[in-house]
Amino acid sequence: MKIKFTALASLAVLAVSTLMLGSCTADADSPGLEYMPDMYRSPAIEAYVDYGEVRGRENMAMKLRMSALVPPAGTVPYYGTDSSLVQLMLPYFRKATISFRETHGLYGADLTASDDYALAVADMNPLKLTAENSEALLKSGKELYTAMCQHCHGEKGDGNGPMVVSGAYAGVPNYTERAALSDGQIFYSIYYGKNAMGSHASLLNKKEIWTLVHYVRKFQNASYGTFDANGLSAAVVADTTMKSKK
Amino acid sequence: MFRKFRNWYFSALAIVIAAGISTTYAQGDALFKAKCSSCHQPHKNGTGPKLFQVRQKWTDGGAKDGSIYQWVNNWQTAAANDPYAQTVSTWSPTAMQAFPELKKEEIDAILDWVDAQPEPGAAGAAGAADGASGDGAAMDAMGTEEEESSNGWVWILMGVVFATIIMAVSGVRRQLKIASAEDAGEDTDEGKTYLEEFKTWAWKYRKYVGMASLVIVIGVIVSLFLSLYSIGVVEGYQPSQPIAFPHAIHTGTNGIDCKYCHNSVTKSKSAGLPTVNVCMNCHKQVNGRTPEQQAQISKIYDAAGWNPEGAGKYTGKVKPIIWNKVHVLPDHVYFNHSQHVVVGGVDCKQCHGDMTKQVEAVKVQTVAELNKIEGNIPLTKPTLTMGWCIECHGEKEISTGSIADTKKDGYYQEIHRRLLNNDKKLYSKYLKDGKVTVSELGGWECAKCHY
Repeated sequence: MKIKFTALASLAVLAVSTLMLGSCTADADSPGLEYMPDMYRSPAIEAYVDYGEVRGRENMAMKLRMSALVPPAGTVPYYGTDSSLVQLMLPYFRKATISFRETHGLYGADLTASDDYALAVADMNPLKLTAENSEALLKSGKELYTAMCQHCHGEKGDGNGPMVVSGAYAGVPNYTERAALSDGQIFYSIYYGKNAMGSHASLLNKKEIWTLVHYVRKFQNASYGTFDANGLSAAVVADTTMKSKK
Repeated sequence: MFRKFRNWYFSALAIVIAAGISTTYAQGDALFKAKCSSCHQPHKNGTGPKLFQVRQKWTDGGAKDGSIYQWVNNWQTAAANDPYAQTVSTWSPTAMQAFPELKKEEIDAILDWVDAQPEPGAAGAAGAADGASGDGAAMDAMGTEEEESSNGWVWILMGVVFATIIMAVSGVRRQLKIASAEDAGEDTDEGKTYLEEFKTWAWKYRKYVGMASLVIVIGVIVSLFLSLYSIGVVEGYQPSQPIAFPHAIHTGTNGIDCKYCHNSVTKSKSAGLPTVNVCMNCHKQVNGRTPEQQAQISKIYDAAGWNPEGAGKYTGKVKPIIWNKVHVLPDHVYFNHSQHVVVGGVDCKQCHGDMTKQVEAVKVQTVAELNKIEGNIPLTKPTLTMGWCIECHGEKEISTGSIADTKKDGYYQEIHRRLLNNDKKLYSKYLKDGKVTVSELGGWECAKCHY
């Protein structure tokens, strides 16, 4: 009789202790037990880590400080020694209009009173499409477009992206019909935003935007970026034949 | 001759008018979508104000007759002629485009079409219900979770009560035993303590006690070792977040690519959390269908300093959102997202799971959940542990597609080519299992990940 008693008691103790151990990790807000927790918050700076406490010492100045910071004003990223790439990556010389502060939240940006969007008509795409690079350039353009634009503007640029189809978003124009837009204006709109669209300067660098400008041209003209045997742009040839017909 | 012509002319005119009436609606629809929809919506303010019954609004506001048509053709002329139009021009700093090509009938067709559009409350009810049920599921899940965690305390409390009862009962038994012994006039062992009593008892049954204690000791050691395995395992970690962000709606229903918001994933070590301006690219217009959604989205507005009233404007007063990091790797491990995503071609879902179905807050998926996803390499070790990493490095083929395809000039194609040309024996050894894995190219070297 007594044997049974002790066995029951020890079972109860075991059950309680395992449950207590288990309850340490049952909370979804707890990441579980750590082995040597000092290694998670070492003095080596990592992105998205709260450095409010390093090696048991509290640092109020760092506590809950934003880890994603804006680069210091006036700094230019280093892009190596290829002068054409460096030239391409230099800060965009067109400025956003003053009203973009309120409409697009560009408070920190260098703004202008003039309408730079209208002036951007004159800007040429510095990435020149040639018979050699066109395939690779349009391929990377497609990748960028799929990740960055397609959900609103649609796979074919007709403004019927999955967001518009699902009814979450409305008013995306059909750009396949707007061949009159200049390259410079497309760039300006992607960089600073236009109407409902926000600025994409933080998401895409200048090379990527110019690549996208090439890619979206293909929606308006299927022969854009294709070249004949002589290395002449088929699109340009088509243009001139059309003009001669007129 | 002339009469005949006149007859023809009138019948043609009649046809045109009839066709005109029946097609007005379609014409208004087409024109609205082509000319107006990038700024205006029938029932919602956007870049431009909502257009539902805007003619009535202008008349009520005291606008001059025909002023609205003038406004569409060129808002500046209208603003100069009509004081009401002047007030309308201050609605937003964004100036309206001029449409001099639109005739009065065409503008009427557009506005007739707009006035015929039903309030989105009716049309959007299904969608709202959909969203609500999704939220409900999330709430339910949270509820059960809370119950689970509170269950632990209930069990502990019950255990304590149970132990107290056992002790009390055994105490009573002991007292009864002593009392009965005293009654019988026997020598009582009252002087004996519990410990002494236990010792005599244990000696009496030493065989059983010895075996039982051996089992208990082994059991404790085994469970201790098993519990050590859970140290540093973060599977199921699901920290609460400041905003109840549903990945399922964003990347599932609305088809937004992971790389749009986590846009540094292709360029940098960390995938990056989107800055609020990225949220605002859509949420400037999307402000939620249900009150719950609106409450969550208004937190983004606070963070971005966006005042959604009227045309909406940025105030410039921003406030950061403090997200909680979910996928935390131990320090001294170098993990580079761009290396895995761009060079290795690993899909996000291999490590993070199927985000198109994640309604609740993001959690570290268990390896069993990850294995269920189609296209994932099946692994056995817990997610985000070293065993899990090297297991994948041993499995993952470094290039997919035909190796013989020399046209592809990626980094790994070049490695294949060099192996084929320089060390065919080694290459064929690698290819014994039909693929060259990451580990065969040094993916198991300590210094690949530890620095």
